[in-house]
Amino acid sequence: MMLAKARQNRALRWLGRQILNTPQPASYFDPLAEAINPMWVQAYTPARVERIFTETHDTKTLVLRPARRWGGFQAGQHVNLGVDIEGVRRQRTFSLSSSPRLWQDNGQITLTIKRHPGGRVTNWLHDHLEEGAVLGLTDAFGDFLLPSVAKPLLFIAGGSGITPILSQLESLAAEDYRAPVTLLYFVRTRKDIIARETITALAARYSALTVRILTTHDNTSPRSLNGSDLDSVPGLTARDVFLCGPGGLMDLATELLYQRGIRDSQVHCTFFAPPTIASLSKEALGGDVRFVRSALSVDSTGDATLLEIAEAAGLHPQSGCRMGICHQCSCRKTSGTVINRLTGKPSGPGEESVQLCVSVPRGPVTLDV
Amino acid sequence: MLKLDEQQLNELQKDLDAVRDDVLADLGERDARYIRKIVRLHRALEAGGRVMMPFGFLPPVFVAATVTLGVAKILENMEIGHNVMHGQYDWMNDPTLNSQTYEWDTVCTSDSWRRTHNYEHHTYTNIIGKDRDYGYAVLRLSDDEPWKPWHALQLINYVLLSVFFQWGVGLHELESEKLRRREIRWRDKLSFIKDFGRKGGRQAFKDYVFFPLLTLPVAPIVLAGNVGANLIRNLWASTVIFCGHFTQDAETFTEAECEGESKGHWYLRQLTGSSNFTGGRWLHLLSGHLSYQVEHHVFPDLPAHRYPEISERVQGICQKHGIPYNTGSFASQYGTVLARITRFSLPDPIRRKLENRREQPQAI
Repeated sequence: MMLAKARQNRALRWLGRQILNTPQPASYFDPLAEAINPMWVQAYTPARVERIFTETHDTKTLVLRPARRWGGFQAGQHVNLGVDIEGVRRQRTFSLSSSPRLWQDNGQITLTIKRHPGGRVTNWLHDHLEEGAVLGLTDAFGDFLLPSVAKPLLFIAGGSGITPILSQLESLAAEDYRAPVTLLYFVRTRKDIIARETITALAARYSALTVRILTTHDNTSPRSLNGSDLDSVPGLTARDVFLCGPGGLMDLATELLYQRGIRDSQVHCTFFAPPTIASLSKEALGGDVRFVRSALSVDSTGDATLLEIAEAAGLHPQSGCRMGICHQCSCRKTSGTVINRLTGKPSGPGEESVQLCVSVPRGPVTLDV
Repeated sequence: MLKLDEQQLNELQKDLDAVRDDVLADLGERDARYIRKIVRLHRALEAGGRVMMPFGFLPPVFVAATVTLGVAKILENMEIGHNVMHGQYDWMNDPTLNSQTYEWDTVCTSDSWRRTHNYEHHTYTNIIGKDRDYGYAVLRLSDDEPWKPWHALQLINYVLLSVFFQWGVGLHELESEKLRRREIRWRDKLSFIKDFGRKGGRQAFKDYVFFPLLTLPVAPIVLAGNVGANLIRNLWASTVIFCGHFTQDAETFTEAECEGESKGHWYLRQLTGSSNFTGGRWLHLLSGHLSYQVEHHVFPDLPAHRYPEISERVQGICQKHGIPYNTGSFASQYGTVLARITRFSLPDPIRRKLENRREQPQAI
């Protein structure tokens, strides 16, 4: 309690910095607190795993109880989840799949996590995490948010991209949102449907909601989103569209929506998987990367990110989600141009902050690392 | 300095790199648990020392509190701060154990330390004229430096340096000797002086103003205890560090012999320029494992608690290449440090005469 107060009081924080030599004085005694009760840790918001249940063969839902001081969230937002795996602190970004009400009323949140092939964190969470364990959370963030005034909505989800949308649908149902809402949910096969019961129950009790679950790989010839799926949505052009799914589905959906006259401002997207580079290969990528503080210079070729280049050179810059979301790896670029993997856009040539995990050098780059 | 040809140096590099690679491949849970345990111990000792201190009007409590706080500072400086700033735990991706952001409980700013120690000292180890840690520009410790009359009093200087060690280390980057010789100007050092003032002020405020005032009725006792704790840390840190490079057989090098050196040559220089001392587990812990100075200098960014485990392999490599491995008991190593400080305080003719006299019986 005392520590929690110290977090908020500016004078106490200043004093703490003078006395404890740390920018986060409140977490100075974390190592002791953690040994007594891990829920007392101040460096992040501790959250106890209350229950783990299986959604599908490769997806689990974690029911977490964050420490009461956690700031809450809006439907559609994400958190960074921190875990220590073999001594290494790893952070990944996950969407909150429960409605904000569950947090307000019960102090619980849920994260629905799909096992990512070869993924260090998701596999660890699936194989080693046990009920009762304590994980670290950041504040919620993200702008994949529902409109504040009721308008017709269309949600297009692919695979585990359903997770932020589950939270949004729950909220809409809870507040009895007065406009048509349609969900087009693409899964590989019937057995890949996440939260099937939740969705069915929502559709049953919330009459404005229309749900279509489409399988892409149940038949011999795969099918994906097509124009008639969209055309079957009544009043399509008047809707705000929320997209969350694998890159291929998002690109296809965006394209088809534009063809139908839906404007940019109506489309909301969120990433949930490491981005792939779409159109970067044509440009001359790579270059000499100089890590000034480490007095190290490395030549890179191709589309390796600054984070990958640094790690290959034996450096350990701080890092988090490795997909451009959490900004743990942001640091100063003092010169040179980098391409942002997410957007394909080049940076300016001068001094600025860059995210190491999604920045690919184009020509020589100097970093304050 | 022992001469090895290029092929031998490559071989040496390969042997040592193999040790390093094995440790790197094995880093994990055990190392994380270790350093977190030490941090926990430090926090407990610091809190314990500070809480006990106001009750120091009882003499045994005063002693206990002062020693507890002193040991806390030693642990934080030696086993946590020094080692964390070397990047030994950067792989853990824990922001509180990150080499670039860690700030330690001593007057020297971490930024200054990273420049003067991690870069200068660990790169140019024992190269006279380049490694400013060799004698700290205060002491003459080899005949590479010409004798001047004021060197005669350097044993006193040494004691003063030890007593005020944290301030000496904090001011190291001021390069007062270069200011004196007018090689650099005061204005070049303004930003350093500002940072030094801020950190030094912060440290002094904490131990000599804030905590005494917080316990006003017993302020003099708390002040005295805090001074004592800093003194304990200063004397100990200075002693450990002096044992690392200034023992009898620790070698020095010239700039010429190190020009354009290979990694193998750098390794050789680290091996022959450093010295270890033996002792129990607590001695190693309180020295931040600088009792394994040789291993530390060869692998400054491997977690220090690993040094005892790899020591045998490093010794084996030294033996294979005919490189002396400098070690001895704490007392005997420190004895040779004091002898070195004393010997080089004497003018060369007198020193040589004494050294010859001492060596003659052995020659017979």
